Amino acid sequence: MRITGYIKDRLCLIIVNLLGIVLLTLLLLAAGNTLDIICLIAAAWLLCLSVGIMAGYRVRKRYLSELLELSDKLEERYLLSEVMEKPDRSDDAVFYQLMKSSHKSMLEEIAKIRLEQKEYKEYKEYIEQWVHEAKAPVTALKLLCENQKSDDKRAFLTELERMNHYIEQTLYFARSEHTEKDYLIRELKLMDMVHQALAENKQLLLKQKVQIKLEESGLTAYTDEKWLVFILNQLIQNAVKYRSNMPVLAFRTEQTENTVILTIADNGIGISKNELPRIFEKGFTGTNGRMEKHSTGMGLYLCRKLCDRLGVGILASSEEGKGTSFSLIFYKNQSLLTVL
Amino acid sequence: MTYRILIIEDDTAIQEGLKNLLMANGYEVGVIHDFGNVLQELAAFAPHLVLLDINLPREDGFSVCTRLRACSQVPVIFVTSRNTDMDELNSIMLGGDAFITKPYNTAILLAKTASLLKRAYADRQPESMEHRGVVLHLESSQAEYQGKRAELTKNELKIMYYLFKNAGKICPRADIVDFLWDNQLYVDDNALSVNVTRIREKLAELGLTDFIRTKHRQGYLI
Repeated sequence: MRITGYIKDRLCLIIVNLLGIVLLTLLLLAAGNTLDIICLIAAAWLLCLSVGIMAGYRVRKRYLSELLELSDKLEERYLLSEVMEKPDRSDDAVFYQLMKSSHKSMLEEIAKIRLEQKEYKEYKEYIEQWVHEAKAPVTALKLLCENQKSDDKRAFLTELERMNHYIEQTLYFARSEHTEKDYLIRELKLMDMVHQALAENKQLLLKQKVQIKLEESGLTAYTDEKWLVFILNQLIQNAVKYRSNMPVLAFRTEQTENTVILTIADNGIGISKNELPRIFEKGFTGTNGRMEKHSTGMGLYLCRKLCDRLGVGILASSEEGKGTSFSLIFYKNQSLLTVL
Repeated sequence: MTYRILIIEDDTAIQEGLKNLLMANGYEVGVIHDFGNVLQELAAFAPHLVLLDINLPREDGFSVCTRLRACSQVPVIFVTSRNTDMDELNSIMLGGDAFITKPYNTAILLAKTASLLKRAYADRQPESMEHRGVVLHLESSQAEYQGKRAELTKNELKIMYYLFKNAGKICPRADIVDFLWDNQLYVDDNALSVNVTRIREKLAELGLTDFIRTKHRQGYLI
């Protein structure tokens, strides 16, 4: 608090006092007093007034700086109204009351959010737990199918692949939301990742007679294996979902000065120009998605989200009726810096 | 010699499935009955390789592996539904040789098993296979008949390998395609026919006809 501010706050009092001095001067003049005496009395009044104001300022200043100091010392400053003494001055008491009540309502709000957070965390943990539990029966069924000789085994395996994919999607959605780091960045051969993703979709691709074109290369990138395979899985399944009559899926890698790019191109039905910018939005299904009943609008959203977390760029280009291609862009050097 | 594989897994359905799968692939298989007594049962069975789950009753797979490593160098493959990177890192740090997550691709599981056994026990795969006078040279990717040789492409070699391994049995086309996909050769049904035709042509040049017979609606047979 500055002295000028304090004086300004007391302007009213000062003006009244000055008016008082003027009035008294006039009165004393009328009563026939000499100028010397009048000056003396006015000076005495002014002196008393300024001493009063200065003393008031000192007291106030000390009180307020004590409060500021107290608040500085506090780890949780919002607790100030709890630790400070109840002020004596009536106007301070009003502010004190205001502080108290706003503090209380804030605490209630925080408690509500904490509870929601706790519930959310529990829910998320439950989902992770559930996913692991759910994988056991899927594994058992898969093994049972593999050991079967019947012709239906491939149909069963196809459905199991689908089921497993949905389970995985749940897991990655739960994981994509929180900030904990659940990835292990290693140098990976990109084509190995493609082989892995293709193996996980073998039955689906065979059933839909998708022709795979693959340019082997030894190009590597620093990234997380599980997440990348999940992203590739998603892109492969989209390509199959929106395929044309003679589906072809092509994988190739290339490198530029600063990047390594993995491209997945299909010859499917494509995405219209005005919808292309929105495909990575959460819940966006588009015209293609609406024709296909099993579209949730989550797949590509998750892909982009996971890519963002990994520091990988993802680009889509498409021509309606001709096909779609997705490029995953891995940055050399910088990638590690942005992730870690 | 048949290799003995021990499955340490408490989910009975998976245990049973794995057992059947491994037995069908020519391994001798043991399972753990008493999870309070894992190491003793392990020592009694003396396996060549261990498949180890992480979530186990009483004692988790990590600590089993730690105690196991104190007395044995047997290859360990972790098979688990927990697939966080910490688990993977842990399993490698504690001396696991491989880490496969459920629901595993059985082809990958079998391939890892075979390669670990091969590495640990220096069992060399046969470099060539023989059936009805035809010798398949795996290393040089050639087929030999009466002293004459023909070069085979990667696809052709794998098809021949599968037929040789199942010699005398009818191999359904779908099974062959499955096998090729598991070996990262993405050949579809049409391409399989083309490849088989080409193999037949090559064999014919060696003076051999009717080596690969087509069983209508069933598959191929050598």
